[in-house]
Amino acid sequence: MSGHVFSAVQQSALDPAGPQAERIGDVWWLMFWVCAVVMALVTLALLGGLLHARRRRESEAPQPIAPESHRRMTWVVSGALATTAVILLVLLAASVSTGRALGSLTSPDALVIEVIGRQWWWEVRYMDDQPSNILTDANEIHIPVGRPVLIRGTSRDVIHSLWVPNLHGKKDLIPGYVTDTWIQADRPGVFRGQCAEFCGLQHAHMAFLVVAEPPAKFQAWRAAASQPARPPRTPLELRGQQVFLNRQCALCHTVLGTDAGGRIGPDLTHVASRRTLGAGTLPNTRGHLAGWIVDPQSVKPGNRMPQNPMPSEDLLALLAYLESLQ
Amino acid sequence: MSAEPISYPDDDALAEDRRRLEETWKSRPGLLGWISEVGHAKLGKRYVVTAFVFFALGGIEAALMRIQLARPEAGFLDPDLYNQIFTMHGSTMMFLFAVPMMLGLGVYLVPLMIGARNMAFPRLNAFSYFTYLAGGLLLYSFFFLNIGPDAGWFSYVPLAGPDYSPGKRADVWAQLITFTEISGLAVAVNLITTIFKHRAPGMSLNRLPLYVWSMLVTSFMVVFAMPAIMLASLMLAMDRLVDTHFFNPAEGGDAILWQHLFWFFGHPEVYMIFLPATGIVSTLIAVFSRRQTFGYLTLVLSLVATGFIGFGLWVHHMFATGLPQLGQSFFTAASIMIAIPSGAQVFCWLATLWGGKLRFRTPLMYVLGFIFTFVMGGLTGVMLASVPLDLQVHDTFFVVAHFHYVLIGGAVFPLLGGLFYWFPKMTGRMLSEKLGHLSFWLVFLGFNLTFFPQHILGLNGMPRRVYTYPPETGWGDLNLLSSLGAVVLALGVLVYVFNALRSLRSGPIAGDDPWESESLEWATSSPPPPYNFHLIPTVSDRYPLWTRTGDEPVVTGLKSDRREVLVTNTLDAELDHRDTSPGPSFSPFFLAVGVAVTFITSIFTPWGVVIGAVPCFLALLAWFWPRLDQGHTVLKEKKS
Amino acid sequence: MTRDRPVSVLDASDLPTVVFGPRSTLWWGVMGIMTIEGMMFAIMAVSYYYLRGTAQMWPPSGVVHPGVGITTLSLAVLLASMAPAYLAARAISREDLRGARNWFAVTVLFGIAALVLRAMVLDRLTFLWNSHAYGSLIWTTAGLHITHIFTGTVENILFVILLHRGPVEDKHLLDARLNSFYWYFVALSWVPFYVIFWLDPALLALRSAALP
Ligand code: HEA
Ligand code: HEA
Ligand code: HEC
Ligand code: CUA
Ligand SMILES: [Cu+2]
Repeated sequence: MSGHVFSAVQQSALDPAGPQAERIGDVWWLMFWVCAVVMALVTLALLGGLLHARRRRESEAPQPIAPESHRRMTWVVSGALATTAVILLVLLAASVSTGRALGSLTSPDALVIEVIGRQWWWEVRYMDDQPSNILTDANEIHIPVGRPVLIRGTSRDVIHSLWVPNLHGKKDLIPGYVTDTWIQADRPGVFRGQCAEFCGLQHAHMAFLVVAEPPAKFQAWRAAASQPARPPRTPLELRGQQVFLNRQCALCHTVLGTDAGGRIGPDLTHVASRRTLGAGTLPNTRGHLAGWIVDPQSVKPGNRMPQNPMPSEDLLALLAYLESLQ
Repeated sequence: MSAEPISYPDDDALAEDRRRLEETWKSRPGLLGWISEVGHAKLGKRYVVTAFVFFALGGIEAALMRIQLARPEAGFLDPDLYNQIFTMHGSTMMFLFAVPMMLGLGVYLVPLMIGARNMAFPRLNAFSYFTYLAGGLLLYSFFFLNIGPDAGWFSYVPLAGPDYSPGKRADVWAQLITFTEISGLAVAVNLITTIFKHRAPGMSLNRLPLYVWSMLVTSFMVVFAMPAIMLASLMLAMDRLVDTHFFNPAEGGDAILWQHLFWFFGHPEVYMIFLPATGIVSTLIAVFSRRQTFGYLTLVLSLVATGFIGFGLWVHHMFATGLPQLGQSFFTAASIMIAIPSGAQVFCWLATLWGGKLRFRTPLMYVLGFIFTFVMGGLTGVMLASVPLDLQVHDTFFVVAHFHYVLIGGAVFPLLGGLFYWFPKMTGRMLSEKLGHLSFWLVFLGFNLTFFPQHILGLNGMPRRVYTYPPETGWGDLNLLSSLGAVVLALGVLVYVFNALRSLRSGPIAGDDPWESESLEWATSSPPPPYNFHLIPTVSDRYPLWTRTGDEPVVTGLKSDRREVLVTNTLDAELDHRDTSPGPSFSPFFLAVGVAVTFITSIFTPWGVVIGAVPCFLALLAWFWPRLDQGHTVLKEKKS
Repeated sequence: MTRDRPVSVLDASDLPTVVFGPRSTLWWGVMGIMTIEGMMFAIMAVSYYYLRGTAQMWPPSGVVHPGVGITTLSLAVLLASMAPAYLAARAISREDLRGARNWFAVTVLFGIAALVLRAMVLDRLTFLWNSHAYGSLIWTTAGLHITHIFTGTVENILFVILLHRGPVEDKHLLDARLNSFYWYFVALSWVPFYVIFWLDPALLALRSAALP
C-alpha cells in the first residue's frame, strides 16, 4: 500500500503542482534564461579577449592605455553597465510582481491547517470553528485538490521550515511566531516535503507527505480520521492494547478512544493509515513498525522516542493492535 | 613637495646606514623571537600559513562530508559527527581561513605596497595574530574532545540556546567568534591607520594601489560590521551562562533578533572576503596583461559602493521567516543592485584583458578562472535575491552551490593566484609554472564538477545540512558526481601545496622583481629586509615601477639607530612627522594569553571575566610601561 | 632593483616627532576604538527597540522606575566629569604636568562618584538580568557602560601616577590628551541610554502609577 510512495518521490521545484509553485517556476525560468544569456556573453567576452590579446615579446614595456582606445573602452563598459541596470530592473519588477501575486492567492473559505514543528516530526491540526472537531494528525497533510489551503505554522521547540517544493517555497516555523503560507494543489498526487531549516540531530529525517485528493475523497478521509480509534476486535488486538497502555507508550502518544493521551509523540489514533513511520523515515510496513517500536534509535538516532525492548509475544500483540488503527 | 639635490655623502655612509638599520630592525632569535616578533612581514606570513592550515583542515572536513553524502543512507558519519563537521567546516572556512587570510595577506602586503616600514601599531598586530591563533586552537582542541559546535556556522537560536544545546558546544562557538572578531577588529583599525598615515611621500589617495584600496574598504566594513556579531555572541553566551533572555520568546526575547544581528554582520562578512580578492585581481590583471588596469576610478567607486550597499542586504538571508512584503522588496532591490558595482568591476577587468598582451602564467590562469566562476556565482546570487525564488531554494544545495561559487571562485581562486604571484616576494623563490598550471586545471575542473551539480540538487529538493537522504529521492547520482569532483579539487590543492613546499627548498631564486610588476613591494629585495626599504621611496604615479625614470627623490633623515618611521598626511601623503615604531615585545603575547584565559574560563563560569582581568591588566601595564629607549624627550615638571 | 644611489632626497630629519589630533597615528587608533564601541552601543539600542517592538508588554509588569532623581544625577555627574578631563587636557597642552595630574585626579573622583551612583541605580531596579528580556537588555547595556567607566577611571589613575612619578616623555602628552578625548566618549555614550531607558514615557507612567 505504501511502497509506491517510496519508489516515485515527487519533490522538485521544477515540477509545479499548484499556482504558487507555478508562478515561482515562471520566475525561475525567466531568471534562468536571462542569467544564461548574461553568462554566455561574459564567457564570450572573456574568450574573445584572450584571442584578441596578441602575445607580446616578453621584454616589451608595459603601456598605459592609449586615449582613443580608452574612449572606446569607456563606451563599451558604460554600455554594458547600462544594459545591466536595465536587466536588473526587469528582474526586480518580475520578482516583486510575483511576490505580490503570491500574496494575493488567498481565499476566505480556505481550509485552515495548523502545522507545528517538533524535533523531528510534524504535528498537523485541521482547524474547525468547533474545537471538538479539530482533527490532530502527524507527518501527513491531506488537502483537497483545487481548494486554497492556509497553513498556519509555528514551532514547539526550535526553528523548522516547512517546504513542499512542488507546491510552494518554504516558510519557517518559529517558536513565538505564527507564519502563514497559502498552498493549493491543482492535481492529485503525493508530494514529499522536508524540513529545510537545520533543527538538530535528525533534521535530515524530518520529512512529510502532502496528499492531495479530489474533494470528495478528502472529505471521506477527514470524516474517517476524525473518528476515535476502532476498539480492539480480536484477543490479540486486545492484548496489544493492554501492552500499549501498560508500557510507557501512552505517556507520549494519544490514541483517541482510549486512556492514552500523551502529547510528546505523534498521535497514533490512525497510525496504520499513514504511509510512513518516523516522519518519512521508513515505509509503514509491519516489519518496519516492529523495528521502529523496539529500536527507534538505530533507525533515527537521537530521536525522542526511547527503545522499547519487549517479549516477542507482547510485540506481536502490539503490532496487531497498531495495525488495526486504520 | 620640493626635493633637494643629493646631499648624501657617499657609498660608505649609505652602507653604514644600512648596516645600522639591519641591527635596529632585527628580531630576537629563537622561540622568544617568535613570541616577541612585531614585524609585519613575519606576522603577515604567519597569518597566511596559519590560515592555509585551517583551509586544509576545513578542506578535510569537506572531504569527510562529501564521502558521507556520496551515496544515499551512507553510514560513514553519524548525525552527531556530521553536524559537528559541517559546523566546523563552515566556521573554519569563514572565521579561521577566509577572513584572517585576507586580512593577514593585507598585513603582509599593505606596508610594502605603500612604502612603509611596518604597520602603524606593530604590537597590536602581534596581539591580533595570537588572539586569532588562540581562537583556532580553542575550536580544534574542543572539537577533538568531542565538544565541537554543531549548530551551523550561524548558530541559530533557539537551537544553539540553553534549552536545545546543553553542554558546552555552542559556548565554544560563541567564544571562537569573540576571539576572531577581536583579532579582526584590531587588524582593521591597524590597517586603516597604516594606510592613512604611513604612505610613501607622493602616494596621494588617488594613487593608492587598487589592492590597498580594497583593504581600506574591507577594514572599514570590519569596523562597522563585526561589533554586531561580538555583541550577538555575547548575548548568546549570556543566555547560556547567566540565564538572560535575549533570545527566549517565553520571557520577551526573540529568536529573530539573533538572525538580524548575525546577518547584519554576516552579509558584510562575505564582502570582506570578496573585496580583497577583487584587489588581488585588479593587481594581477595589470601585471599579466602588461597594461594599466582600466577604470581606476570606477573600480575604486565600485569598492566603496559595495562597501556601503553591503550593509543593506542582510535580510536576504531571512526571506523565509516571513517578514512583511514591503521590507522584503527593499532588500531584494538592494541585493539586485549590488550587481551593478560588481558588474562594473567585471567589465573593467574584461576591458583590460582585451588588447592587453597576456602572459599566460599561473596567476593569470587563476584570474581567468575567477572571472568565469565568480560571474556564475554572482548570477545565482541575483536569483537568490528574488524573494519568491529564494523561498524555493533557500536552505538547499542551490545556496550551497551559490556561495561556493562566490567564495571559492570569487575569493579562493584569486587568493591562490595572488599567493602564487607574491610567493617569490615572500620567500625569494619561484614556483614551478608547470605544477602551477596543473593545479589550476585540477582546481578549476574539480571545482565545477563538485559544485555545479549542487544547483540541480537544490532545485530537486535537497535541503542543506542533511547528513543523509533516502535513495528514492534520486539525489544519489549527482551527489556522487559532486563527491568525485571534490576528489579532483583536493588533488589540485595538494599539487599547489606540493609546489610550494618543493620551491621553498629548491625553487629558482626570484630576484627583486621577477614579474616586471608595477607596485612598490617589488622595489625592494625578495624577501624584503625587516625595515622593508633602505631609503623610503617616493611616488608620483599609480604604477610607480612602470613609469619611473630613476630620478625620483628618496627620503633621508630617518634615524637608523632606532626604529624611526615616516608619517605622512592623510590625503596627499606629504611629509608630516617622524614616529618611533616599537621593537620586539612580549606584552602582546601575554595580553593574548590573558584574553584567552578570560574567554575560555568564561565558557565555564561568569567569573572568568574577573579571573581573566588580572593577567590582562598586568599585560597592558607592561605594554604601556614607559620605556626610555624610544628617543623621546623626558619632560621636567615645571615649577610654577 | 633597490636604488643604491639616489639622485635627490627629501630630508625628514627636521620633522617633529610628537604631533596631536588627526595628524598623529594614535588619534586614528583611538577613533577606531570609539567607532567600534559606538557601534556596539548603537546595536544595543537597536536591539532594545526591536525587542520592544515584538513585546506584548513593555516594560514588563513589576518594573518600576528606579527614580528620576538618581538616574539624572548619575548622568549629570558623568557629564560633569568631562570638565576636569578637559582641564587636564588643557594643562597638558601647556605642558603643565602638575596641573594635568591634579585635574586627572579630580576626574578620577568624578568617575568613582559616577560608579557609586550607577550602583545605586542598579540596586533600585526591581528586576535582574534573568527576570526577562527587558532586564537582560538594561543590565547588559549598563554593565557594558560601567565597564567603560571603570576601565576609563583606571586609566585616569594610571595617568595620575605617571604624571606624579615620571618619567614623563613628550609622547605622553599625546597619550594624555587622547585619554581625555576617550573619556568624553565614555561620558557622552550614556546620554542616549539615559533617554531611552529612563525617560521612556511608559516607564515614567508606571512610576506615577506605582506611587500612591
Ligand atoms: C564571497 C562571498 C559572496 C559574494 C561575493 C556573494 C554575492 C552575492 N550574493 Fe551571496 N552568499 C554568500 C557569499 C557571497 N555572496 C554566502 C556565504 C551565502 C550563504 C550563507 C549561508 O547561508 O550559509 C550567501 C547567500 C546569499 C543569499 C541568501 C540565500 C539563502 O540563504 O536563501 C542571497 C540572497 O539574496 C545572496 C545574494 C547574493 C548577491 C545578489 C550577490 C551579488 O553581490 C553578486 C553580484 C555579482 C554579479 C551579478 C556578477 C557580475 C555582474 C555582471 C557580470 C553584470 C551582469 C549581471 C546581470 C545583468 C545580472 N547570497
Ligand atoms: C571560504 C569558504 C569555504 C571553502 C573554501 C569551502 C570549500 C569546500 N566546501 Fe564548503 N562551506 C562553507 C564555506 C567554504 N567551503 C560554508 C560557510 C558552509 C556552510 C556551513 C554550514 O552550513 O554551517 C559550507 C558547506 C559545505 C557543504 C554543505 C554541507 C551541508 O550543508 O550539509 C559542502 C558539501 O558538499 C561543502 C563542500 C566543500 C568542498 C568540497 C570544499 C572544497 O573546496 C575544499 C577543498 C580543499 C581541500 C580538499 C583541502 C585539501 C588540502 C589538503 C588535504 C592539504 C593537506 C594539507 C597540508 C599539507 C597543509 N561545503
Ligand atoms: C518518551 C516518549 C515516547 C515513548 C515512551 C514512546 N514513544 Fe513512540 N514516538 C515518540 C516520538 C517523539 C515520536 C516521533 C519520533 C520522530 O519521528 O522523530 C514517536 C513515534 C512513534 C511512531 C511513529 C509515528 C509516525 O507516524 O511516524 C510509532 C508507531 C510509535 N512512536 C509507537 C510507540 C509505541 C508502540 C510505544 C511504546 C512501546 C512508544 N511509541 C513509546 C515518543 C515516544
Ligand atoms: Cu526541522 Cu529541520
Ligand atoms: Cu548575503
